[in-house]
Amino acid sequence: MLSDITIGQYFPGDSVVHRMDPRVKLILTFVYIIAVFFPQNWFGLLLAVGYLVFSVLCSRLPLRLVWKSIKPIIPLIVITSALNIFYSDKGVELIHWGFLKITSGGLITAAFIAIRILCLIAGSSLLTYTTSPTTLTDALERILRPLKVIHINVHELSMMMTIALRFIPTLIEETDKIMSAQKARGADMESGGLMQRVKALIPVLIPLFVSSFRRAYELATAMECRCYHGGDGRTRMKQLHMGRLDVWCLLSMALLIAAIVTLNFFVPAVV
Amino acid sequence: MPLLEVKDLTYVYSPGTPYEKTAMKDVSLSIEEGDVIGVIGHTGSGKSTLVQHLNGLLKPTSGTVMLNGRDIWAEPKKIRDIRFQVGLVFQYPEHQLFEETVAKDIAFGPKNMGLSEDQITVRVSRAARFVGLRQELMDKSPFELSGGEKRRAAIAGVMAMEPRVLILDEPTAGLDPKGRDMILEQITAYQEETGATVLLVSHSMEDVARTTKKVLVMSGGAVAMFAPTEEVFSRAEELTGIGLSIPAVTRVFLTLKQRGVDLGDGVYTVEQARDRLLPLLKKGGDAHAQ
Repeated sequence: MLSDITIGQYFPGDSVVHRMDPRVKLILTFVYIIAVFFPQNWFGLLLAVGYLVFSVLCSRLPLRLVWKSIKPIIPLIVITSALNIFYSDKGVELIHWGFLKITSGGLITAAFIAIRILCLIAGSSLLTYTTSPTTLTDALERILRPLKVIHINVHELSMMMTIALRFIPTLIEETDKIMSAQKARGADMESGGLMQRVKALIPVLIPLFVSSFRRAYELATAMECRCYHGGDGRTRMKQLHMGRLDVWCLLSMALLIAAIVTLNFFVPAVV
Repeated sequence: MPLLEVKDLTYVYSPGTPYEKTAMKDVSLSIEEGDVIGVIGHTGSGKSTLVQHLNGLLKPTSGTVMLNGRDIWAEPKKIRDIRFQVGLVFQYPEHQLFEETVAKDIAFGPKNMGLSEDQITVRVSRAARFVGLRQELMDKSPFELSGGEKRRAAIAGVMAMEPRVLILDEPTAGLDPKGRDMILEQITAYQEETGATVLLVSHSMEDVARTTKKVLVMSGGAVAMFAPTEEVFSRAEELTGIGLSIPAVTRVFLTLKQRGVDLGDGVYTVEQARDRLLPLLKKGGDAHAQ
């Protein structure tokens, strides 16, 4: 069934991570993704992993959710780290086979890469699991507001994004309905070759387009009736507030980076 | 043998997920050939779920749907044949129009049946006549029609398959009184001429009262009542108990009875009320003249 598709992966909750200011979350995730590439030794990497594990525990998300986000990436991780095995000359040579050689340094590099990608994926999905798509666009709008200087209307962009997200479930429902209606008239969408199947979609796509345009038109009228005129002077129902919690989180990230950089100085690099 | 028979039908939406919901529980009923049945019930009472089972759009979680004594899911590959015999007009059917011309859109169903060009032409013009679409509209784009015309064109698209059972899910929703009367009259005329079995899902008690002979009342995914129209509307208290109403004119007669003016039961259309009241007025007038 089409209705089984979930858009976005927001998992509602009331944990510390859920309550954080979305702007702070967005910035922290961004910074974290970069920070994951700083450590050059095991201690630094361990710190970075630990920070993430702690955050996930704080969010009280079921662990299988985190696993679900990592699972599809596993082939990518395997291939990337497998390639990296051969790109290092450091350490002891373990296997030499034709032009290929594997060194202990190569193995370590591969492990580092794998762990970094894992952190990157798990970190960013922690953001999308704990922040609803609309809140996220809202935060993005606030963060990108300075772009006004170069005449980019961030408000309009984010309004478009919010509307698009809001209407995906509606359109899915609509598609489902139209498909049923055409099936009731004997449309056959399950059999036949590729061309036939593409053709069978026409009776679904045309009504869907028509109704999307109708919806857009109605929505525009409704917005104008409520005096919508873009972002200038618009207040919000949900004001974003940075609280003490957010300050602590920002501080903790700063500390993490400082610790990683310091460790890089004092502990010999392995990659 | 009943034409359509539903036995212990249970349907569960999205089983095994957090959104699991039992939409229908142990529903059994049988529909005879030529019946004209009104289906009423609250939003979420299982009306739409039930009618989508009758033409095989939904597959029962358990239980069977029999058409002509045969399980419609006996051969899942031939489910399309069932859909040609049990025509279903969805709510707001005008949203499913897609072809370049009205005629082509009405022909979509017959074409899927694999009929010859000649047969299709005959069926299209017959269906157009049933719903009162003028010939000059047939070559127009369906998107140029008015709201009521679009609705009628979409209904014609199902009628053109000439199904033995015609199910209409709220065919009058959102239409003005004139458009509503027109569609109800056309459905009645179609039924009388073809002898088809008709199921009319509706929220309007007035529509049901004047169009159908039997009424199926759904409540909470089960059949609450299934009886001749007159009988169903005489059980006003039960109906209000499950959040439904009775036709306004029936309510007037019931209130009159409570206030001591007993004009008899079984009045559920304006015509019936007229027939009860006119003789009384005449008598009153005669008395005055004396």
